[in-house]
Amino acid sequence: MAHSVKKYRGLMDWITTVDHKKIGILYFAAGGLFFVIGGIEALLIRLQLMFPLGADGESWLLSGQTYNEIMTMHGTTMIFLAAMPLIFGLMNAVVPLQIGARDVAFPFLNSLGFWTFFFGGVLLNISWFTGTVPDIGWTAYAPLSGTEFSGTGSDYYAIGLQIAGIGTLVGGINFLVTIINMRAPGMTFMRMPLFTWTSFITSGIILFAFPALAVGLIYISFDRLFDANFFVTATGGNSVLWEHIFWIFGHPEVYILILPAFGAISEVLPTFARKRLFGYSSMVFATALIGFLSFMVWAHHMFTTGMGDIANALFGVATMLIAIPTGIKVFNWLFTIWGGKIRFTTAMLYATSFIPTFVMGGVTGVMLAIPPADFQFHDSYFVVAHFHYVIVGGIVLSLLAAVFYWWPKMFGRMLNETLGKWSFWLFFSGFHLTFFIQHFLGLWGMPRRVFTYLPNQGWDTANFVSTIGAFFMAAGVIVILINVIISIKGPKAPADPWDGRTLEWSIPSPSPEYNFKQLPLVRGLDAFWLEKMDGKKEMTPAEPLGPIHMPSPSILPFFMSLGLFIAGFGFMYRGYEFDSALINSLFGNDIIAILGLAITFVCMFLRSVYDDHGYHIEVEELQKEG
Amino acid sequence: MEANQEQVQDRVKRGTIHEGPKNHIIAFVISIFLTLLAFMAVANTALDATFIKIFIVILAIFQAVIQLAFWMHMKDRGHFFQILFLATGTFVAITAFIMAIYWVWW
Repeated sequence: MAHSVKKYRGLMDWITTVDHKKIGILYFAAGGLFFVIGGIEALLIRLQLMFPLGADGESWLLSGQTYNEIMTMHGTTMIFLAAMPLIFGLMNAVVPLQIGARDVAFPFLNSLGFWTFFFGGVLLNISWFTGTVPDIGWTAYAPLSGTEFSGTGSDYYAIGLQIAGIGTLVGGINFLVTIINMRAPGMTFMRMPLFTWTSFITSGIILFAFPALAVGLIYISFDRLFDANFFVTATGGNSVLWEHIFWIFGHPEVYILILPAFGAISEVLPTFARKRLFGYSSMVFATALIGFLSFMVWAHHMFTTGMGDIANALFGVATMLIAIPTGIKVFNWLFTIWGGKIRFTTAMLYATSFIPTFVMGGVTGVMLAIPPADFQFHDSYFVVAHFHYVIVGGIVLSLLAAVFYWWPKMFGRMLNETLGKWSFWLFFSGFHLTFFIQHFLGLWGMPRRVFTYLPNQGWDTANFVSTIGAFFMAAGVIVILINVIISIKGPKAPADPWDGRTLEWSIPSPSPEYNFKQLPLVRGLDAFWLEKMDGKKEMTPAEPLGPIHMPSPSILPFFMSLGLFIAGFGFMYRGYEFDSALINSLFGNDIIAILGLAITFVCMFLRSVYDDHGYHIEVEELQKEG
Repeated sequence: MEANQEQVQDRVKRGTIHEGPKNHIIAFVISIFLTLLAFMAVANTALDATFIKIFIVILAIFQAVIQLAFWMHMKDRGHFFQILFLATGTFVAITAFIMAIYWVWW
C-alpha cells in the first residue's frame, strides 16, 4: 500500500516543501530579509532628515525623488513584505500545533501562498535595479499613481502587490479552513488558544479586505496599462474612489496585522506569569468585535478629503468605538500578569513593554479620530508618530516577543537570553527615542513625507534626536541577527522550555514532520497545562497509533508563482518603448505576458490532472523514532 | 451489502452522500421560471419602470437563495460556516455601500 515518495534535499527540499513548519520558516526568512531591507530604507530616511537643508540649498544626502522612492518602498515593504509574512510565518509555525493538527488544511495552497507572496515582493524590489521605483507613497493615491504623474514605478507597485496579495488571500482562506476543520478531538472553539483565535479572525478579515485591494489594484493597472479611466477625472473617473477602495482594504489591513500580535501577547503573558489568561471569553469577544468594526471606519483616513461634517462625525465616533474592545484587551492583559509569578525572559520583556507602548499609540489614535483635531494633525509628523507607535510598538514588539517565545519550537535551538535582553533594551529605548519626539515635531508643524526642511524652525534638534534613536533600533536588530546566527550552534531546545500551557509544547522541539504521533485529546483551555496539573507528562492520545497520511512535496506552486512573476513583467513592459529595436521586438509586446500566464496555467493543468494521494508514514517508522 | 434505509436518510441529511436528482430538478425548474419571469417583466412595456426594477431585484434575491440552498448545498447540514461567512461578507459589503452612499456622498 505504501509507495515510496520522492524526498528532496537541500534547496529543492525548501522549494518543493508543503510542510507548514518549513513554510513558516520560509516566511520568516523572506519576511526577515524584507524587514532588513525596509529597515535600511528607514535608516536612510532618518539620515536624510537628520540635518535641515544646507545653507547652499543642497540636500546633504538624498534628492527629493530618491527620498520619495525610499519612503514609498519603506512603507510598502514594511507592511506587505515584512509584517504580513512574519505574521503568516508565525501562524504557519504555531496554529496547526496549537489546535493539534498534523498540517494545514491545504498544504499545496500553503506553499502557493508563500511563493506568490515571495515573487510579488521580489518583483516590487526589482524596481530598484530597473531604475523606476514607486514614488507615490504606500497609499498610491490617484491621480499621483496615474500615468500623468508617475512612471513605470507605479506599475511595479500595482503588479507586485497584486501578485503578493494573491498569496495573502490564499493563506487567509487556508487558515480559516484549517481552524474550522482540523482541531483535535475535544478542542472546541472556546478551548482554542488565543493566538489561534486571533489568527482565525485575522484570516476572516483577510478574506473580506484583500479582494478590495485586488480590485483597486486592477483598476490602477487598467488605468495605467490599458488606458482605462477609473481614476482619471478628465474622462469621467473619480480619483477619490481610489482613496475609498484603498482604505476599505487598508484599515482592515492594520487589524489583520495587529490581531495576531494581540494573540501572541495573550500567549506569552500567561506563560511567563504562570496564570491563565484573564477574561478569555471577553478576549475572544473583543477580537471578533475589532474584526467587525475594522470594516466600518475606513473613512477616518480621509477626514480632510471633504466628505462633509456628518460623514466625518459618524466615522469619528465609529473609530472611537474600537477603543472599547481594545481597552478590554489591555485590562485583561494587565489582570493576567497581576499577582502572577512573573519571569522576565526576553519574550516577556517584549510582551510587557508592548502594553504601555501600544496604549500610547492607541491614545493618539483616539485623538486622531476626532475630526476637528484631525484637521490639525493631518499629514503632520504626529500621524507618523501615531502609526509607528501602533505598528512598531504594537506589531513589531509583539512579533519579537513571539519570535523569542516560539523560536525553540520552530528551530529546536534556544536563543541566547543575554543577547536577547540587550536587543530588547536597545530596540525599546531606540524606538521611543525615535518616535516619541515625532509627536511633538508634528505638533510643532512639521509635515510628513517631506525630504528636507529649512533650518531654525525649532525642528533641528528633535530630528537629530529622532535619527539617533533610529540607530539604537538598528543596533537592536543587529543584535537579534547575531543572536539568530549564534543559535545555529546554540543549546538544543527541550520540548517545553517555558513551562508552556498549550499543545505545541507537548511535542518535541522542533516538532516532527507529522507533528503529533497520535492526535491529543483536549480536555479544556490550556490543554497541556491541564494535563501537567494532573501530574501527567504528556497529552492523552485520542487515537491508536496508526499510519500517518502525508502530502507529497510539489514544485508546482513555485512555477505557478514564477509564471505570474514573468507575466507581471510582460504586462508592465508590453507598451514600453525600449531604446534598442531588438529588445523592443522581444519585450515590447504581449509575448512575455502570454508566456508567463501559460506557465501558470500549465502548472494548474498538471495539478488538476495528476492525482497525488500523498504517502503514509508507517507505524514501524513512528516507533523507530521513539 | 444492503444499506439500512434510515442510515441512508441520516447520511443524506449530514450531506455525506448525495441525495439524488429530485431536489435539483425542482430547483432547476424554479430557477428557469424565475429567469423567464424576469425576462417577461422587462419585455412587458405596459408595466411601470420602477415596478420592473423592484420586481426583478426581488426575483434576483429568490434566485440567489435557491442557487445557494440547492446548488451550493447551503440547506444541508454541516454548512454553518459557509452560511456564516457568506452572511458576514454580505453584511460587510452592504454596510460599506450604505456608509459610502448615505454618509460620504450625501
